[in-house]
Amino acid sequence: MGSRARIELIVSLAILIVVALVPAFVANEYWRGVLIVSMVFAMLAAAWNLLAGYTGQFSLAPATFGMIGAYTTGLLAYHLETPPILGIPAAVVVAGLIGLVLGRIVLRLRGPYLALTTLSFAEIMRLVISNSIDFTRGDLGLNVPGLFQSRLAYYYLILGALAAVQLGLYWLLQTPVGLYLRAIRDDEIAAASRGVKIVWWKTYAFALSAAISGLAGALYAHFAQLISPELGLISQSGLIISMAVIGGLGTLVGPLGGAFLVYYASEFLRDFGNYQLIAFALLVILFARFFREGLWGLLRRPFERSRPIIAAPSPAE
Amino acid sequence: MLFLDLLSNGLIIGVFYALMAIGLSLIFGILKIVNFAHGEFYMVGAYVYTLTALALGVSPWLALPLAFASGALVGLVVERLLMRPLYAGYGSWSVMKDEYAVIVTFGLSLLLINLVDKFVGPYGYKGPALISTTRIALGPVLMSGHKLIAALIAIGVIVLVALVVRYSFWGRQIQAVAQNRLGASLAGIDPARASAIVFALAGALAAISGALLANIFNPTPDVGVFPAIKSYVIVVLGGMGSVPGSIIASLVLGVLESFGGVYISYQYRDTFGLVILILFLLFRPQGLFGERIREV
Amino acid sequence: MPCLFVDRVQKAFGGIKALDGASFTIDAGELVGLIGPNGSGKTTMLNILSGHLAPDAGTVALEERPVAGMRPEALARLGVMRMFQLTRVFPRMSALDNLMVAGCALGLEQDEAERRAGRLLADLALAPFAHLDAGHLSGGQMKLLEFGCCLMVPPRIALLDEPFAAVHPTMKEIMAGFIRRRHAERQTFLVVSHDMPVIIELCPRTICMNAGKVIADEDTRAVLTDRAVIEAYLGEAAI
Repeated sequence: MGSRARIELIVSLAILIVVALVPAFVANEYWRGVLIVSMVFAMLAAAWNLLAGYTGQFSLAPATFGMIGAYTTGLLAYHLETPPILGIPAAVVVAGLIGLVLGRIVLRLRGPYLALTTLSFAEIMRLVISNSIDFTRGDLGLNVPGLFQSRLAYYYLILGALAAVQLGLYWLLQTPVGLYLRAIRDDEIAAASRGVKIVWWKTYAFALSAAISGLAGALYAHFAQLISPELGLISQSGLIISMAVIGGLGTLVGPLGGAFLVYYASEFLRDFGNYQLIAFALLVILFARFFREGLWGLLRRPFERSRPIIAAPSPAE
Repeated sequence: MLFLDLLSNGLIIGVFYALMAIGLSLIFGILKIVNFAHGEFYMVGAYVYTLTALALGVSPWLALPLAFASGALVGLVVERLLMRPLYAGYGSWSVMKDEYAVIVTFGLSLLLINLVDKFVGPYGYKGPALISTTRIALGPVLMSGHKLIAALIAIGVIVLVALVVRYSFWGRQIQAVAQNRLGASLAGIDPARASAIVFALAGALAAISGALLANIFNPTPDVGVFPAIKSYVIVVLGGMGSVPGSIIASLVLGVLESFGGVYISYQYRDTFGLVILILFLLFRPQGLFGERIREV
Repeated sequence: MPCLFVDRVQKAFGGIKALDGASFTIDAGELVGLIGPNGSGKTTMLNILSGHLAPDAGTVALEERPVAGMRPEALARLGVMRMFQLTRVFPRMSALDNLMVAGCALGLEQDEAERRAGRLLADLALAPFAHLDAGHLSGGQMKLLEFGCCLMVPPRIALLDEPFAAVHPTMKEIMAGFIRRRHAERQTFLVVSHDMPVIIELCPRTICMNAGKVIADEDTRAVLTDRAVIEAYLGEAAI
């Protein structure tokens, strides 16, 4: 894993550095905003990738935890005038706790059963928030206080959060935790018989994934300053999942690259009349069907071939 | 007679749910996957019915079998193109077949919804009624003529399908493959063809459901989303893979929603099914009639 | 203090009694074979010993500590390692990582786990494949890898379920040699197998099961000429 992971880290850093330098060349506030939203999606995609790509739990509710994070900080600000400096950590904790509980509940479920339960959870949450008009203002939308005057400040704050998440995940996956999660993904029964604490790590993955999503949602809330239950639509989860799949499921760079590519492309295609969702859906299907490793996997292929991963046997063997 | 009204309403909506659920259940039985694009088969049927009748001036009675055929075609194409990795040897997804199915059918659902949204338009057209009588009295209960005829057609189709699956030559093959794929192939049955038949049938049934209900729920690109969610609930409730289970669970859900909408909460009536789904998945994943799957 | 104490274990599935009062004791450092015709309950017994099933009745004790019904993870950490009949490895992780999962999960530090894994790979002639995804290994190589996982942290008892089934003779030799070496270092083994020549060669003592009960439990040569054992395999007419 060593050298492969190091390459992914370098590429991730390169992407982040490029994104950090963009505002020097692009002064257009709209496009800076597009990149900010891409960063939020990159965090959501990375969180989902941790749960699905690395631990094998294909939840259909990534957007829901983002929505929970957004509404936690938004409602705290709206009802209790909580400052964002407290609201954002609260969002992380609340989302993480709900993720912990959900993860505990779905422990014994696999594949389609897990997907169905998380789908139901997502729909229920959305309906609850949408219908509790007195508390959440439902579909009318909730106003959330901003953090800064300048968009640039948001840009670097959220980029910083993304970098922290990306580096944190890289570090985590290099520890034995990364081994345990992948083992659970590959064969849960074998993992158990080797001594891996299945219950603990599966729940951990759910909680961490939810917490990261909550952070992303909270940051988005203070940036966009208006949130609605549409954040939790299944199609939003679909978008997040697409980004991770197209970028490369089960890799570190995949969700990062995938998010920027997909979101940028979606804005670009918006000028050409709303074909973006069709294109992504098609790409998701194609990649799932033919290129499981996503774009990152495709990019790696020419290099894999030239570098043998089977060592030639030494004369003594 | 509110009670009878609610009951008959519930049963009728249950009958339509059953059309969708049977197909989903059969797919699960034979491929062990949940088809997340099932709602889009419904949508395709609704649109084909409505558009051929309105735009091409075809009689609604002819548009129905057209919708049926279109659903079958879409199902067949999906199976051929996308479901291969599920049963063809070692591929990069072979360890995670369930997950492949989730992603691919999810993507398919997004694709179909947005294709229709883009090329047909996001606005709903009201599907034409099969007969124009707007009020028929069935004992103490009043309902629209179309609804009655549609329900009768749906019941007829359901009974036909149930009989075919249970007793016909093709039906027995499907049952064999569902129970033991390898064994069935060793006995000379072609599992690929059985899968294709099942997908085509499921598509056709969902499409017919969409067509019959086009008069009541105007076809929009995402018209299939809610019925799909309902059918997931039903299939788990009735036991994945069990056709009679799906039928019974559909009727139960229909009646539950009908009464619940009035006595508990109209706003949240769509969540009853979801909560039941979660409860069943946690405590009785085999549903009311399904079988427990052993692991080691 | 015996390593493993199994007393009158019962297990039924529906109406079928897979285990009907099976009992035996294994002392530390023994290398015991477990044989019996198909359906005799060998795999069920192993499933119970490794925590994948809970017995309906009876006792299972590991060094005098009752362990019946404990989960596989807990049993693994107590030193009960199991090899599966249908080989289970982590196909999308490298051979090295496969071994490291077992090592780290059982408490080794990452560096120590990596060192041990490297040595094991060499011992099992898998060193060239250290960084290859385990899913790409041949069937026999996967078995060797799974075998290696069981021995990353020397367990109190290693349960091997048909380790020689469908394996190339060369690899059979590697595995048998490995078992012999570790046994010389006081590693306890319980080996389920249909491969009589290997059982005779490896195991000083053999237990034979039939219809959920233990019908013979003695010196291997004696077991193989035991009337009841022959009857179980070949039926009465064969005598």
